[in-house]
Amino acid sequence: MTAAAALALGVGSAPAEDTVKVGVLHSLSGTMAISETSLRDILLFTFDEINAKGGVLGKKIEPVVVDGASDWPLFAEKAEQLLVQDKVAVTFGCWTSVSRKSVLPVYEKYNGLLFYPVQYEGEEMSKNIFYTAEAVNQQAIPAVDFLLEEGIKKFYLIGTDYVYPQTTNLVLFEYLLSKGIPVENIGGGLRKDASGKVISAGNYTPFGHSDFQQIVADIKKFSASGDAAVINTINGDANVPFFKEFAASGLTSEDCPVVSFSISEDEFRALPAKDLVGHLGCWTYFMSIDSPANKKFIADFQAWLNKTEVPGIVKEKRVTCSPMVLSHNGVYIWKAAVEKAGSFDVDKVREALLGGVSFEGPGGKVTTQKNHHLTKNVYIGETLENGQFSIIKSFDNVVGEPFLKGTFGKK
Amino acid sequence: MSLWAGLAAFAGLGWSHATEEEARELLASIVLTSGEEQAQAVEALGGHGDSIIGTVIEAWRVGGISSYTPPGGTGKIALLKEPEGYTDIATGEKVVPQGDPVTIRPSRALRKTLKKVADLLDLASPDPAARIAAAEKLGLSQNPDYLPVLRDRLEMQTNPKVRRAFDEAVNISLLANGTPQEQLAAVTALGNLRSYPARDLIEALRVKNAEAADDDGAAPESRAHAAAMQAAAVEALGQIDGHQKVVEVYGTLFRGLSLGSVLLLVAYGLAITFGLMGVINMAHGEFIAIGGYTVYLVQGWFATTFGEGTAGYETYFLWALPASFLVAAFFGIILERGVIRFLYKRPLESLLATWGISMILQQAFRLHFGAANVAVASPQWLSSSFEVAGVTMSYNRLFVIGFALFVIVATWLLLTRTSWGLHVRATMQNRQMASSLGVRSARVNMLTFAFGSGLAGLAGAFISQIGNVGPSMGQTYIVDSFMVVVIGGVGNLAGAALSSLGIGMVDQSLQPLLGPVMGKITVLLAIILFLQFKPGGLFPARSRSLDD
Repeated sequence: MTAAAALALGVGSAPAEDTVKVGVLHSLSGTMAISETSLRDILLFTFDEINAKGGVLGKKIEPVVVDGASDWPLFAEKAEQLLVQDKVAVTFGCWTSVSRKSVLPVYEKYNGLLFYPVQYEGEEMSKNIFYTAEAVNQQAIPAVDFLLEEGIKKFYLIGTDYVYPQTTNLVLFEYLLSKGIPVENIGGGLRKDASGKVISAGNYTPFGHSDFQQIVADIKKFSASGDAAVINTINGDANVPFFKEFAASGLTSEDCPVVSFSISEDEFRALPAKDLVGHLGCWTYFMSIDSPANKKFIADFQAWLNKTEVPGIVKEKRVTCSPMVLSHNGVYIWKAAVEKAGSFDVDKVREALLGGVSFEGPGGKVTTQKNHHLTKNVYIGETLENGQFSIIKSFDNVVGEPFLKGTFGKK
Repeated sequence: MSLWAGLAAFAGLGWSHATEEEARELLASIVLTSGEEQAQAVEALGGHGDSIIGTVIEAWRVGGISSYTPPGGTGKIALLKEPEGYTDIATGEKVVPQGDPVTIRPSRALRKTLKKVADLLDLASPDPAARIAAAEKLGLSQNPDYLPVLRDRLEMQTNPKVRRAFDEAVNISLLANGTPQEQLAAVTALGNLRSYPARDLIEALRVKNAEAADDDGAAPESRAHAAAMQAAAVEALGQIDGHQKVVEVYGTLFRGLSLGSVLLLVAYGLAITFGLMGVINMAHGEFIAIGGYTVYLVQGWFATTFGEGTAGYETYFLWALPASFLVAAFFGIILERGVIRFLYKRPLESLLATWGISMILQQAFRLHFGAANVAVASPQWLSSSFEVAGVTMSYNRLFVIGFALFVIVATWLLLTRTSWGLHVRATMQNRQMASSLGVRSARVNMLTFAFGSGLAGLAGAFISQIGNVGPSMGQTYIVDSFMVVVIGGVGNLAGAALSSLGIGMVDQSLQPLLGPVMGKITVLLAIILFLQFKPGGLFPARSRSLDD
C-alpha cells in the first residue's frame, strides 16, 4: 500500500518521505486576484490546521502554490506543471468557469484530481473533478423558491455576458415557466434561434460595464406594477454602478428586491454595503451562521492570519465567505477520502469519494454524492449595513444536481 | 399596562386626544413583545397618526431600535437611535447606555407589516412625495380595506400631483373591488390618467373579458358588459402605451445627455493636454483615479471628524470636488516639470513615457490603497430622484449634467476672456513664436497641463459617485477619452463637447434596441466608419504650417 502511494506520488527527494504534495491553483495576479487570493489564504490555513494535528495518513501536507494569473490558457499550463513535474496528489483551485474548462482536459489526460469551490452553472461532470461548489439548484433555484413564497410574481434577469450567467438564467427561465410564471412576467428580454427555441434569457452587459441607466429604467418600468424582483448574476465590480444607479432611481429592496449570486461577504470589502441593504444573497455558507463550529472556524482563521508569515497576505478586515468555506471543506473531504481509502492514489480516493464521505463544516454537514457534487445546506440572507448577511431562511441537505436543463416539466 | 388594554384605551381616545406619553408607552411595550400579538398590535397602529408612531415605525424597519437593560434598572427598555444619541421610547428621555444596546431586528414578515403601517401613516404625511408613494403602494395592493381611506384622503388633496396619485390608487383598487359599473369607469379613468402601473391589470381584464364576451352560455347583459369592458380596456391600453412611448423617448434623451456629460467630464482634461498641448498623455486615466481616491480620503476624514450620517458628513462631496481638482493638478505639475517638458517636440517618446508613468501610478495605488476597489458612499442628497412626466431624474445625473455645463463654460471663459487664456492659445499655436514675443511659455505649459490634469481629477471625483474607485479605474476611461477627443477633432474643445454628447445619445438610443453588448459594438463600429470618412474628426484643425 505504501509502495503504491509512494509510486503515485513519485517520491524522490528526502523530505518528501513524510510529506504529501498538494497543488493550489488560483490567480494571484490579474483581475481575478482580488477574489482568488482569499481562497489561497484559506487553503494554506487549512493545511496548517491539518498538519498541526498530524497531517493526512501520517504525512504532512506540502502545498505547491502556482499562479494562474487570470490567464485561462496559463491555467492549463500550470495544471500540467502540477501534475507532471510536481506530481501533486490533489489540486484545489480555479474560480471562473472558463479556467475550469481550460484545465479539465489536463486533469483527464493525466488522471489528476481537482476540487472546484465556486458556484457555477452546472452541465458538467468530469471524473477527475469534484465540485464542492454550489450547483444551480443549490443557489439560484432555492432563491427563486423563496421569492415565489414571498409572493413575487415578476422576475427580471440580468447578468454579465459569459457562460455562468447565460446558462444559469436559461435554467431559471425554464424553472420559472414550470412554476407557472408567464413569459411576459420574465423580464430582460429573450433571444431565440431560427427554430424559435430560446437560446438566451435576460439582459446582459459586458464585463466592467459602467452605465446602467437604461437597464435600471427598464427595471423600474417592469416593477411599476409591483411584486417584482431582480435576479442578478452581474460579476465583479460592475455591481457598484448597478446598485448605485438602482438606489438613485428610487427603487428600494421592499419595492423590488435584488437577489445576487456573485456577491458574498468577501466582495463587500470593496463594495459600499449601504447601497445593498435589504437586498438578498443566497449561498451555502454565511459568516453570520450562529454555530459553535463556525465561530471556532472564524476565530482559528483570524488567529492564523495574525501569526502567518506568508508574504502578501492582507491581515486587516478579513471575512469568511462561501467559496472560502467550500475550499476548506474540500480539503477535509479529500482528507477523509484518503483516510478511508488508506491511499493517496487518485483512483482509490475517487472510489472513496463516490462511496460518500462527510465532513461537519462551518456551514453544516456536507456529503459527497455519486455525481461528484455535494449535499449541503443552502441559506438565504439579507444584506446588512456592515456587509454581513442576516439569515432569513435555510434549506437543509440540498442534493447537488449538475444537469438541470430540460428537466422541469411545463405546467 | 397590558398591550391590549393599552391599545384599546388608545383607540378609544382617538389619536388626536391621546397624549404623546401614552403613545410612547404603548410603542415601547409593542417593540419589546414578540410573535403574533406583536404583529397584530402593529397592524392596529395604522389607524393612528401621532408623529412619534411614524418615527418609531420607520426607525424599527431599518434597524434603528435597540433593547437595553440599564444597570440597576427594573428590566429591558426600548431605545430609539438618533444621530445625536439614544432616546428611551417610553419616556422620551435621553439615555447614555453603557456598552452597545442590542439592535431589535424585525423579521421580514413583520417588516412588511411595518412598511404597510408606515404607508398608511404616510397618507397623511405633510411631504407630498411620501403621500404619493404611499397612495401608489396601497392602491396597487388592491386591498379593499384601504379603499375608503384612499377615497376620503382623495377629497382632501389640493396638490394636483398628489391628487392624481390618489385618483390613480382609488381607480386601481376599484378594478378589483368595484361594482361592474365602477370597474368600467375605472378602466376609462386609468386610461385617461395614462397609468403605467395599471397596465398589467387592465391587460388581464381585457383578456378575461374577451373570453367572457365570446362565451355563448352567459347571460346577454353580462356579455354586453364584458364587450364594453373589453373595448374600454383596449382604448385605455392604447392611451397608456402611446404615452409610454413618449416617456421613453424623453427618458432616452435624458440618459443620453447624462452619459454624454460623464464622457465630456472624463475627456475634457485630455482635450486640453492632448488636443491643445499635443502631449499624448497615457496617464490621463490615472489622474481620474487620483480624483477618485481624493474623494475617498476626504470622505474618510469627514467620517472620522463628524461621524457618518451627520449633516457635516453629508457635505463632504462639496469639499472633495475642489480638493480632487487641486490634488490632480498638483500631480500634473510634478509630471510636467519632471518628465513632459523635455518631450514637447517628441510626441512618440511622450506616449511611452506617460504610459510608463501610468503603470507606476497604478502600482502606487495598489501599494497604498490595496489591490481591491475602495468603497465610496454617495451622500444622501445625491442618491435620490424625482419624476417629471414619468421620466426618473436622479439628482446625481442632474448634478453631472450641470457640472459638465459649468466645466465647459468655465474653460471657455478662461481661454477666451482672460489674458492667461490668450497666452495659452498663443503658446499652443506656436511655442517658439510665443516665447520670443515675451510669453513665459514654460510657465504656461506647466499651468495648462495642471489645468487639464485637474479636470481629470474632477471627473474622477464625479465617477466615485456612480461607479468604482480602484487602481485600474483609469483604464476603463482612457479609451473613451481618446475616442471623444479624436471624434471631436484634435485641438477643438467645442468638438469634444459635441462628440461626447453625440456618443452618449447614440449609445443610449441603441441600448434598448440591441442590448448593452451589441449596442457598444455598434457604437464602436460606427466610430471606425466615421473616422474612415472624416479622419480629422467633427472639426478638423486647420493649420498653415507646412508639415500638416
